[in-house]
Amino acid sequence: MSVTGDTVKDTVKDIVVVGGSIAAVTAADALRRHGHEGSITVVSDERYTPYVRPPLSKGMLKGVETEESVFMAPPRSDVDFRVKTRAVGLDRERRRVLLEDGEELPYDGLVVASGARARRLGPPEAGELVVRDLDDALRLRAAFAEAGSLVVVGGGFLGMEIASTARGLGLEVTVVDQDPPLVRQFGSLLAEHMTRAALDEGVRIVRSPGGVRLVGQAPVTGVRTAEGELLEADVVVSAVGDLPNVEWLAGSGLGGPEGLLVDDRCRAAPGVVAAGDVVARVSDRTGRPRRSPHWGSAIDQARAAALALLRGDEAPPYRPAPYYWTEQWGLDIKICGRILPGAIPEVLSGSLDERGALVRWTHDGVPVAAATVNHRMPVVKLRKLATAS
Amino acid sequence: MRIIVDETRCEGYGFCAEAAPHLLELDDEGELTVLSEQVAPDEAANAEAAVRVCPVAALRLQS
Repeated sequence: MSVTGDTVKDTVKDIVVVGGSIAAVTAADALRRHGHEGSITVVSDERYTPYVRPPLSKGMLKGVETEESVFMAPPRSDVDFRVKTRAVGLDRERRRVLLEDGEELPYDGLVVASGARARRLGPPEAGELVVRDLDDALRLRAAFAEAGSLVVVGGGFLGMEIASTARGLGLEVTVVDQDPPLVRQFGSLLAEHMTRAALDEGVRIVRSPGGVRLVGQAPVTGVRTAEGELLEADVVVSAVGDLPNVEWLAGSGLGGPEGLLVDDRCRAAPGVVAAGDVVARVSDRTGRPRRSPHWGSAIDQARAAALALLRGDEAPPYRPAPYYWTEQWGLDIKICGRILPGAIPEVLSGSLDERGALVRWTHDGVPVAAATVNHRMPVVKLRKLATAS
Repeated sequence: MRIIVDETRCEGYGFCAEAAPHLLELDDEGELTVLSEQVAPDEAANAEAAVRVCPVAALRLQS
C-alpha cells in the first residue's frame, strides 16, 4: 500500500459520518477543507439539525437565550445531512453502515461520532429528568417554570450548572452526591470556592457516600439517600455522568463500555476514525482508556480524525490540549490542562475571595493546568501558562 | 458576504481560526483578528464552518 497522503486519499471516496453534533459537523467541515471531493453522508438520530450543547444547562435553561439561538448555521450544501436517521449496525467486512429503516450505506471511510447519552439511575419508565439534548433542556425549562424546589443528583460540572441556573430562577435547590462537589474536575481549591459560592446562594449540599435511589415514578418526587434521608422536590434531575453510544457497533468488534478506543490519530480500525464523546484513548498517565467528553475535545478530535482518514500515517498525531469551561454562581471559569490529583495550585493574580483570579497548578514541579475565574484571557495565553513555566 | 465578529462575545477560543485560516487568525496575544471581512465565494463554506464551531455565537455572516 502506498504511503503518500494523496494516494491514500484517492481510495477514500464515500465517507459516512455517524452522529449529529459538533464532532460530526466539524469532521464534515474538515474533510472538505482538506480537499475530500467524494460524498459525505451524515446520519443523526436527533430530530433537530445540529445545535450547541453548552447553553443547554445555562442560558437556554434559564430562558435568557431562546432555543432558536442554540442552532448552528445549517449544514453545508455539499454534505448529505440526514436527521431522524439512526445507525443500528456496522458491517466492517462489507464496509456498510446499517440504518434502522433497513437501508445500508456503503463507505470507504467512516467517522464514528455517535456521542454519549445521559446515564440514568432508574429505568426509562421512571421518568427521571436529565440534561443531554435539546428536548431534555426544553422539558426541564418547562418544569422549572412551575416548580418551587429542585433536587439535583450529582454535584459534577453539569449538576452544579443546573443547580446554579435553577437557583437563579428562584427555586429552592438541593444537590446530593457521593463525593464533595466538583473536586474531580476542578481540584479542591476551586471546588471548595465554587461550593462556598453555592452555599452562599442558599443551596443545600448533601453528601451521601452510599448513593441515592429515586422515590416516585413519572414523576420522580424525590430521592432517598443510603443513609436514610428523604429529599423531596417538585423536580428531580439526575446529572450522574454519561455513557458512550457504542451499542450500534455491537458485533463489529469495535467499542465497549469504556467507549470506542482510538489510536494516536483517532483511528479505531482500518477506514474507521472517531471523534467526540464516544472516543476513549489510553491515558499516558494511567495506561487506562479514558474519555474526555468536552466541547473542545470533540472539535480537536474531529479535525484529527478527518485528516487521519484522508492521509493515514501522514496525518499529524492528535495531541490532546484539554480545555473546558463552566459558568455557575456568578463564576465564569475556564481551564486549560488537567488538574491532576495532588497538583498544587497557586493564585498568580487576583483573588478567589474577590471573585476574579488566575490560578495555575503544578505537579512534581511541572505546570499541568491553569484557570481563569471571571478574568478574560485568550485561550492561547492560558494554555501557555498551563504547559510552561 | 461579510464575516462579523462580536468582540464583546468573543472569548478567544480560536476554534474559528482553524476552520477559516484565510479569514481569521489569532494574533501573538491570542486575540482574534479578522484578516478579511469580505468573504470570497470560495471561502464561504469555511466561513460557515467557523461560525458553527464558535461556542459563544460571537461570529455571524452578513450577505
